[in-house]
Amino acid sequence: MREITLSQAVNEAIAEEMRRDPTVFIMGEDVAEAGTPFKVLSGLVEEFGTSRVIDTPISEPGFVGLAVGAAMTGARPIVDLMFGDFIYLVMDQLCNQAAKQHYMSGGKLKVPMVLRTNMGATRRSAAQHSQSLQALVAHIPGLKVAMPSSAYEAKGLMKTAIRDNNPVVIFEDKLMYQDKAPVPEEEYLIPFGVANIKREGTDITFIATSSMVQVAEKAADILAKEGISVEVIDPRTIVPLDEETLLASVRKTSRAIVIDEGHQSYGVTAEIASRLNEKAFYHLDAPVLRMGAMDVPVPFSPALEDVTVPTPETVAANARRLCAGEMIDAA
Amino acid sequence: MPRDVTMPQLGMAQDAGKIVAWLKAPGDAVTKGDALFEVETDKATMEVEAQASGFLTGVTAGEGEDVPVGAVIAQISDSADDDTPALQPAPANSDDLPTGKSVTMPQLGMAQDTGLLVNWLKSPGDAVAADDLLFEVETDKSTMEVTAGFDGYLAATLAEAGQEVPVGAQVAIISADKPANPVARSVQATAAAAPAPEPVAEKPASQPAEKKPTPPPTAATGGRILASPKARRLALEQGLDLALLVKAGHPQPFHVADLDTLRAIPTETPVATAAAAAMSLTAEIASDGFTDFAAWAATNGLIDADALLAGLAGASMTARCVIGIDRSGQPRHFAVPAGRSLSSVTQTDATPDLILRDLRGTALRSVSLGATDTPVLTLMAGAQGLTLTLECTHAQMDGPTAIHLLTTFADRMEHPLHHLL
Repeated sequence: MREITLSQAVNEAIAEEMRRDPTVFIMGEDVAEAGTPFKVLSGLVEEFGTSRVIDTPISEPGFVGLAVGAAMTGARPIVDLMFGDFIYLVMDQLCNQAAKQHYMSGGKLKVPMVLRTNMGATRRSAAQHSQSLQALVAHIPGLKVAMPSSAYEAKGLMKTAIRDNNPVVIFEDKLMYQDKAPVPEEEYLIPFGVANIKREGTDITFIATSSMVQVAEKAADILAKEGISVEVIDPRTIVPLDEETLLASVRKTSRAIVIDEGHQSYGVTAEIASRLNEKAFYHLDAPVLRMGAMDVPVPFSPALEDVTVPTPETVAANARRLCAGEMIDAA
Repeated sequence: MPRDVTMPQLGMAQDAGKIVAWLKAPGDAVTKGDALFEVETDKATMEVEAQASGFLTGVTAGEGEDVPVGAVIAQISDSADDDTPALQPAPANSDDLPTGKSVTMPQLGMAQDTGLLVNWLKSPGDAVAADDLLFEVETDKSTMEVTAGFDGYLAATLAEAGQEVPVGAQVAIISADKPANPVARSVQATAAAAPAPEPVAEKPASQPAEKKPTPPPTAATGGRILASPKARRLALEQGLDLALLVKAGHPQPFHVADLDTLRAIPTETPVATAAAAAMSLTAEIASDGFTDFAAWAATNGLIDADALLAGLAGASMTARCVIGIDRSGQPRHFAVPAGRSLSSVTQTDATPDLILRDLRGTALRSVSLGATDTPVLTLMAGAQGLTLTLECTHAQMDGPTAIHLLTTFADRMEHPLHHLL
């Protein structure tokens, strides 16, 4: 199968949906001629013109609000938020407006919009351009959250998001735009709420999102050489969450580490770990561990930045301790 | 020692900056913090400060030039006429490479990880000037020529035309003196020369012997035994007593793997606990109605009296089950489906849930053999009719269930027709 980059996969998904449905359009800062700073959208404006690939002023609350209105009145907007960190600017439009219209109108209004943005540290982009804020969005009822872990997921989830009648936020890891993966030529969609078991194992389950799936798989490789068999699961969407697959795995392995690049406290890892505790308690042979980014602003210093996020080595070290039955003083 | 002045990255999406103006002339004294030159990016024009004090020397980029981010454009030296460019230490792995200054693959775009080296414009051994075009790079956007950046001789090329080179990787070495043996390598060869960082194998975790005795003394836990939820559940289900592990001095917390150790602890105590938890119930009935019932059933095609007996016992249990009929040590097992159909009872190899020990033909009038792995219901001849004794543990069956089993079975043995009604 051909291999394409995550960036090309997103581009293809959007282009295919724009060809299929004339109500789909995309807007944001530098999306047209520039094709975004990461060159994800290159070529779209040439095919679809500036009426469907719209450069906006630097006015995030304004254009996200515009998208909410367009979605409520029949269009299917995709909003490009250049950095995930800018989500703070659009919280009212996203959480108060987009997430609540369907509920507050008694189901009369729908908001079929997609907000695509990014996350991920270790790109030397400093504290205001390196955050992974998916937990903020996942906390709000009415919003769906997808976190592609490869080009394959990026395409399939983006197409599903565009066709979904609810607001969907997609977080792409900005370090993965050039990562290649096999992506079929023929059309496919990846349904929301269906986790992907990346590899099967018997001793411990790693539940990882986005680029942390790569970290989990590398840790699993390290541990395999030591005789520890790891099951790696990518939930693909954190809202909705495929709880059944996660629970079934933990019932089998009795141990779990949840890995996500958001800050560890009050994060995605905490939510998933908590559900495993509540629903698989009597199957646990070790505490469920969370591994997120340190609770500090992401440092600009490369040496410091690199130690704030989970790595294959730190994940493997924790897994060894759990499998050896050591007391974890995780407080 | 001279310090490099490089083109700074002033914006996320910035590949290169245009030098609008030099604010110092070559040879000028500069103080750290002085505005050194002006850069224009697609967003704004900014002044860039000197990062060190000294004299501006070796200026390689003129006003109006677009310079890639990170490229060296000048030096700050200790004297005004010091024109020797800053000597960059050769990489540690280049023991057999000529010494000199590194030329690396530049990052020419935001979304670029590697550059395709299209062509070398100089050959190893050639004299090069800093402004000379050294090689051509193709990115997804365009093809660009990259300058040498230093005066000297091309002492080594570390990538071949046509190879993808990661951004930041060393592609050439420029030496001050004419090299005796210029080197030309490919990227792979370079990589092979680098000492591959072997993953340091930590101590294998799967060595239970190495398990550190984490010391949560009972005092610290308020007498509570520390065990994982799963270990606790399995111990309960299997009738294992975690306290025995504590007595044996096994380190807490206990996990599923520790249950193997627990099972291996000499059985005297488990037997004692099983015996303590054992119960024995006895029922007497005035007459044995089963013999006549079996004779009647045989005329209706149900000729196996054992299957019939198993059916009556099974119907007294709460769900479908396997009943073992044990007469003089030759047990036969029967699967009894839910419901009351006696014709559906079939022989099986499955482990029985209840053993029916038929001692009616013996002189035994009372048994107390203690609980075994399986609940045992013993049938004996009584003073008039039959005596039925059920022996089991609390783990196998709770009191109410045992009472229900024994009373309903006793009733069926006395009045088999009740089974059919």
